[in-house]
Amino acid sequence: MDLATGLAIGGIVFIAAVFVLVLIYYYNRIRVLSNRIEEAWAQIDVQLKRRYDLVPNLVETVKGYAKHEREIFEKVSEARERMVSGTREGRMEASNEMTRTLRTLFAVAENYPQLKASENFKLLQEQLEGIESKIAYARQYYNSSVLTYNNVITTIPGMWFAGSREKNAFLEIPEEEREAVKVEF
Amino acid sequence: MARISFHDEIARNKRSSLLLVVLISAILFALVYILVYILVPEFTVLTLPLSVGLIVLYSCGSYNHGDSIVLSATNARLAEGREYQYLRDTVEGLSIAAGIPSPKVYVMENKEMNAFATGKDPEHASVAVTTGLIKGTDRLELEGVVAHEISHIRNRDILFMTLVAVLVGLAAIVSHLILRSFRYGGVRRRRRGKRGGGLEVAVLAVGFILAIFAPIVVRLVQFAVSRRREYLADSSAVEITRYPDGLASALEKMMKKNQGKMDVSEAVSHLFFVDPKHSALDTIYATHPPIEERVRRLRAM
Repeated sequence: MDLATGLAIGGIVFIAAVFVLVLIYYYNRIRVLSNRIEEAWAQIDVQLKRRYDLVPNLVETVKGYAKHEREIFEKVSEARERMVSGTREGRMEASNEMTRTLRTLFAVAENYPQLKASENFKLLQEQLEGIESKIAYARQYYNSSVLTYNNVITTIPGMWFAGSREKNAFLEIPEEEREAVKVEF
Repeated sequence: MARISFHDEIARNKRSSLLLVVLISAILFALVYILVYILVPEFTVLTLPLSVGLIVLYSCGSYNHGDSIVLSATNARLAEGREYQYLRDTVEGLSIAAGIPSPKVYVMENKEMNAFATGKDPEHASVAVTTGLIKGTDRLELEGVVAHEISHIRNRDILFMTLVAVLVGLAAIVSHLILRSFRYGGVRRRRRGKRGGGLEVAVLAVGFILAIFAPIVVRLVQFAVSRRREYLADSSAVEITRYPDGLASALEKMMKKNQGKMDVSEAVSHLFFVDPKHSALDTIYATHPPIEERVRRLRAM
């Protein structure tokens, strides 16, 4: 074997090795990013379930003081069920619906001084508002994880290694929340 | 690009932490050696490995328990009860947004508005805020400050900053001991008469210089590392809250209302959100960038 053949073989082996390393790197990176999206969803899921568990307590408390707000109670229980089953988009849609309905409910509560003064009601309101903001933060983390993932699998060189992977969808931010920041300041 | 720079920062912080431990261990080793040489010259050989052992013990201790040391040095207590529900919710929400586990939440009883984060990694981290901060800020401002501290956790600043805090505390104690031993040791030596020659004088001189300069050098290290970190944590905080004005207006409030009289040790001052104590040496030693400059950068975002 002369020098030229040796160099050629060495060169090919080297290029193959580099290719394999790059392949491993991108395979792992895409996996890690896709796992991060799942983890981000799990965070949202936790909050949705906590809200699912708390809402009946709230409804019971409110019923004790304001029996005839039946329409709201129905809306709440309907959104509550949809919040924990179905597609991610559907569940988030239900969660947004829940946010709106709860706001109406808290606004209605203003008309019942005894309800408003109830310690139990205040506690539930605080907890539900806490969960609401956590859902918003978890969704932000979810969307930024999706963005990173989508960027990697749609740009060179990531797209060469992404195979048939599809872009993940963002979770829509409801109109009223987009403006919320400006309104409050 | 933002992701890459934040991963770079994590790697950089781990490197700095290691380097710092090596560097300061070397300085402390020299100081301990000199201390031993002055106090008990007969046992220099024996105490040498002993002091190395002590330093190793101390480094491991500050790695694993640095956060408890810092938290107790600042009189922080766990934020329990409904009173702090809102604070805990804010911390938990922002850590979800930053993609880290929720840190433990502490409060410090103090009228000044301030906060800090400590711990060794995001799994073992704590955030502490003053009661003054809770009372004095609105929702967006509190979120800005907490997001800044969460960024310190996510960027792994906390380990480095906590190590610096504990080691600075130790260095201060050791150099204080040396300076004292000079006073007493000097008297004793004169009584015993002349002993040794130029070598002893040289060692003593080096010891004296080290004892005086070590705290200053350490303070300069603190100063050098902190400004970049603070600016970076400010911009990461905005990445989390998506609202630079909250943090900016919190800073402005602190500029106006804080008296700069928090009773905390020098060793932990670089951990705080804004400098807890103003002193005459501020311009040289400041561990924090000027608040005006931080506000200016945030308003420009």
